[in-house]
Amino acid sequence: MPTVVVMDVSLSMTRPVSVEGSEEYQRKHLAAHGLTMLFEHMATNYKLEFTALVVFSSLWELMVPFTRDYNTLQVVLVTDGCLGIGRGSLRHSLATHNQRSESNRFPLPFPFPSKLYIMCMANLEELQSTDSLECLERLIDLNNGEGQIFTIDGPLCLKNVQSMFGKLIDLAYTPFHAILKCGHLTADVQVFPRPEPFVVDEEIDPIPKVINTDLEIVGFIDIADISSPPVLSRHLVLPIALNKEGDEVGPGITDDTEDENSANQIAGKIPNFCVLLHGSLKVEGMVAIVQLGPEWHGMLYSQADSKKKSNLMMSLFEPGPEPLPWLGKMAQLGPISDAKENPYGDDDNKSPFPLQPKNKRSYAQNVTVWIKPSGLQTDVQKILRNARKLPEKTQTFYKELNRLRKAALAFGFLDLLKGVADMLERECTLLPDTAHPDAAFQLTHAAQQLKLASTGTSEYAAYDHNITPLHTDFSGSSAERL
Amino acid sequence: MKIFSESHKTVFVVDHCPYMAESCRQHVEFDMLVKNRTQGIIPLAPISKSLWTCSVESSMEYCRIMYDIFPFKKLVNFIVSDSGAHVLNSWTQEDQNLQELMAALAAVGPPNPRADPECCSILHGLVAAVETLCKITEYQHEARTLLMENAERVGNRGRIICITNAKSDSHVRMLEDCVQETIHEHNKLAANSDHLMQIQKCELVLIHTYPVGEDSLVSDRPKKELSPVLTSEVHSVRAGRHLATKLNILVQQHFDLASTTITNIPMKEEQHANTSANYDVELLHHKDAHVDFLKSGDTHLGGSSREGPFKETITLKWCTPRTNNVELHYCTGAYRISPVDVNSRPSSCLTNFLLNGRSVLLEQPRKSGSKVISHMLSSHGGEIFLHVLSSSRSILEDPPSISEGCGGRVTDYRITDFGEFMRENRLTPFLDPRYKIDGSLEVPLERAKDQLEKHTRYWPMIISQTTIFNMQAVVPLASVIVKESLTEEDVLNCQKTIYNLVDMERKNDPLPISTVGTRGKGPKRDEQYRIMWNELETLVRAHISNSEKHQRVLECLMACRSKPPEEEERKKRGRKREDKEDKSEKAVKDYEQEKPWQDSERLKGILERGKEELAEAEIIKDSPDSPEPPNKKPLVEMDEAPQVEKSKGPVSLLSLWSNRINTANSRKHQEFAGRLNSVNNRAELYQHLKEENGMETTENGKASRQ
Repeated sequence: MPTVVVMDVSLSMTRPVSVEGSEEYQRKHLAAHGLTMLFEHMATNYKLEFTALVVFSSLWELMVPFTRDYNTLQVVLVTDGCLGIGRGSLRHSLATHNQRSESNRFPLPFPFPSKLYIMCMANLEELQSTDSLECLERLIDLNNGEGQIFTIDGPLCLKNVQSMFGKLIDLAYTPFHAILKCGHLTADVQVFPRPEPFVVDEEIDPIPKVINTDLEIVGFIDIADISSPPVLSRHLVLPIALNKEGDEVGPGITDDTEDENSANQIAGKIPNFCVLLHGSLKVEGMVAIVQLGPEWHGMLYSQADSKKKSNLMMSLFEPGPEPLPWLGKMAQLGPISDAKENPYGDDDNKSPFPLQPKNKRSYAQNVTVWIKPSGLQTDVQKILRNARKLPEKTQTFYKELNRLRKAALAFGFLDLLKGVADMLERECTLLPDTAHPDAAFQLTHAAQQLKLASTGTSEYAAYDHNITPLHTDFSGSSAERL
Repeated sequence: MKIFSESHKTVFVVDHCPYMAESCRQHVEFDMLVKNRTQGIIPLAPISKSLWTCSVESSMEYCRIMYDIFPFKKLVNFIVSDSGAHVLNSWTQEDQNLQELMAALAAVGPPNPRADPECCSILHGLVAAVETLCKITEYQHEARTLLMENAERVGNRGRIICITNAKSDSHVRMLEDCVQETIHEHNKLAANSDHLMQIQKCELVLIHTYPVGEDSLVSDRPKKELSPVLTSEVHSVRAGRHLATKLNILVQQHFDLASTTITNIPMKEEQHANTSANYDVELLHHKDAHVDFLKSGDTHLGGSSREGPFKETITLKWCTPRTNNVELHYCTGAYRISPVDVNSRPSSCLTNFLLNGRSVLLEQPRKSGSKVISHMLSSHGGEIFLHVLSSSRSILEDPPSISEGCGGRVTDYRITDFGEFMRENRLTPFLDPRYKIDGSLEVPLERAKDQLEKHTRYWPMIISQTTIFNMQAVVPLASVIVKESLTEEDVLNCQKTIYNLVDMERKNDPLPISTVGTRGKGPKRDEQYRIMWNELETLVRAHISNSEKHQRVLECLMACRSKPPEEEERKKRGRKREDKEDKSEKAVKDYEQEKPWQDSERLKGILERGKEELAEAEIIKDSPDSPEPPNKKPLVEMDEAPQVEKSKGPVSLLSLWSNRINTANSRKHQEFAGRLNSVNNRAELYQHLKEENGMETTENGKASRQ
């Protein structure tokens, strides 16, 4: 998540801190020290994070803007907990919170998912002596409880500021390191941004799920088969070279220092499984299915940006046994070599996907809906149209007739059956002289059958009963006559 | 995100008493005379639906939409009530489809207007509805079994939709009281039962319906809590299309649905096939498909649909697909859809187009600015989904290219071979359960992991790291040796492959040993063969534990290897001095290696290499240089190659490679003091090696060279 650092530069931040040593510090120096530490951490371990800096006292100023728009955010607010007085102060804003109108609403909660971290250049006792802590807690509450307040443990000094920022880094800016595995082929990777824990169902399964640090590839699927699946989040998978202390040497971004540069160059020349995998996924148009945890999967694929730079990307599916209905249950996916014959065909011209659901959806099964009169009229018209083309259209005529019959029986709409029977009888009388004799027979037969069904009692009204064409044989008899 | 919310269980209770046979007094013209037909014919009199027909078709429409959008985990139990309650289906998933319900309704038939109204009542149905809500569904059962001691987390909530013709407000109150009472009683029963669950929450939706033109005797009432368990609401609705509209609104409320209208769909005219007009189709889906609009407060996209002013729909513009290319879109959600007007011509045109496998991108209509594609319609296995495509900008924009990272400078990855490997390791569904020999259930996905493990036991990542995988002649063996079990024919093929290699060695055929990245002179031909045999042995050895037949392949290999390794070693050492004049292509190769190739160029190179493979049947790449012979290197402990038998034979290619890497690495750090002074300590270092590898180590000294 991108970070906005919001720094308090009000006069109270210049209050000196009594330190044992000779140098005299102000609170703002402590804040600057802590932030430097945070930025240094990001520069080495969290390189792709984007940050912006805003300073404020009674006014505010954007010192370093973001270069892009985001839909999520982390806000790091640095303050000494002196909340000011009068209009526009936090105390006043909170007290009048209920009086705000829609156009003048309080900035919290932000209209996007966000975390608010408040770094206090003061210790707990100091904040508790006034109502500052309460006000700051209100802020977190207003942000739907997303965030945390950090205070300095013990006296105000550089060391304690460091430890406070250290806690923030541990909480929000620890890089996610994992091992990508495909059988015996492995690579150390950083997953960026960090995958956040996910709650499946707060009632049944309230414990947030966290992804494994072993990302195990279980098999491969064509892009056409996986077919733009919905995902929870996307993450870059960056190969890293870990040295013995466990610090990464570099996830691939050029560095200023010469040492790191050469280290990167050497790392660049050592074959890495991520690069091999990425290359083949890209060439073949495939994705790798990766197991993230029990009943949790994701996919790895090659993602290219507009500048033709491409990278290995991982998307997380929703946890569960069947995240994508068209693939079926993940546990039921197995190697093609176990199948009797290759489900992809010998020429790679078939695919076992997508899986067909047991029941068709209404739009795929020609359901009957007569809620609007036009629906009913269309169905009746279809029968009529075919009736006029008997005997050529005998099959479709009876198919449509039976469809109408079934629906009328289910809806208890017996009057319709009578009505259509009457209509068919009328059609019979309107047949032109040139009409095939079979037409009259079939129309009369169909009308009779509908009338029987419309009584609602006889076996003719059974739902599964179908009206079948009257068996006639004109060709045979006419041949005899000749 | 609760599975077991009120909408998990819906009970329809439809009144089947004699008065429901009454006409809704809304006429339907069904005999539409077509133009220029015989004149003088009077169309048949219009007919009208009964209250029953209206109720049934409206509730079927409710179910149709629900089943389209939630084919699983949202269940309906249908009850009709007259002199008793008729439960038409159960909670089981097999019973959850329109066909079953329609067949059951046909069996019930329309209400009998001559039945005794005294003994008929909707109460029978309501009591049965409460009873059925206490019954556990298969999903609840599954969740409870899974949660074990936390089984109480599985909720039991439900909704009763009752369509009836009530006499008065007090009649309605009587019905509510009855439901309340029944819940109370049944919860007591359920408390002592394993098969029943207590109802935690029940939403009663009473719909009073009456013929058009009559005055309603019942007044509407919004949702009200009657007890902690029961809430109730009353809707008084005229029959006919009013009732259908009401149920359409309710299904949207109950299942959190929203509406999207696809506009500008070009469609051929029925009458004039060469002209096309634009149509709109309204679809329902879960409201999360609009979450981006709600978040950004972008409600200006919404407009009122033709259905009525109270219904919101979001309009999206059809983008005619230009290609059939498959692309992997970044999609944040996919939701099943149901057309509002399923049988209309525009709807069925759209759905058929999608069912035939085409996808359609949908664009936000904007008066100005750039085009924003926010959704996609696509079908998967006969189901249509509305995909939400991410249109907001991402923090992942402009990431570093993979070629800038670890391993990014290596240019000879076996991309094509790994592509082949991926195709062999594609997944396919196994729907029927399979069992292992010990009778336990076999999980196909575990089998897939097993196969990946086997196939990667020996898999060099780059071309210059391998000889055997660059040789067409080895393919028959390499492709079968990774299998879990071999047939007699497989073994025979492996043996043939080995004999073939022996033959090649006798003929002194050149081998495709790569020289990329090596410094020394390439080895002689018999040295090349030694490297090749070593590598082949490594491959086969990695699989000998699979079966006895794999063992036989190894035996054949060992028997056929030309010379015992010791003899070879000696020979090679004697020859070392001659190596100098070997090939001069090295300079070129080195240049190629330094050159920072772009991705595309690299891929092109690989493709070209693939073509060459075809051209040269037997040998893919004939380069006479090779990595340095293993004994020239200081041997470093390798813990990553357990499959290499260290006690037997010469060093494998893998260890060869590791050595090279280590040499490269040694450039990065300060040299060990011991190695720097290796002139003095030479003997000791290699003594250690000798013990470990059974190799002579006279030619050490090389390490300090680099």
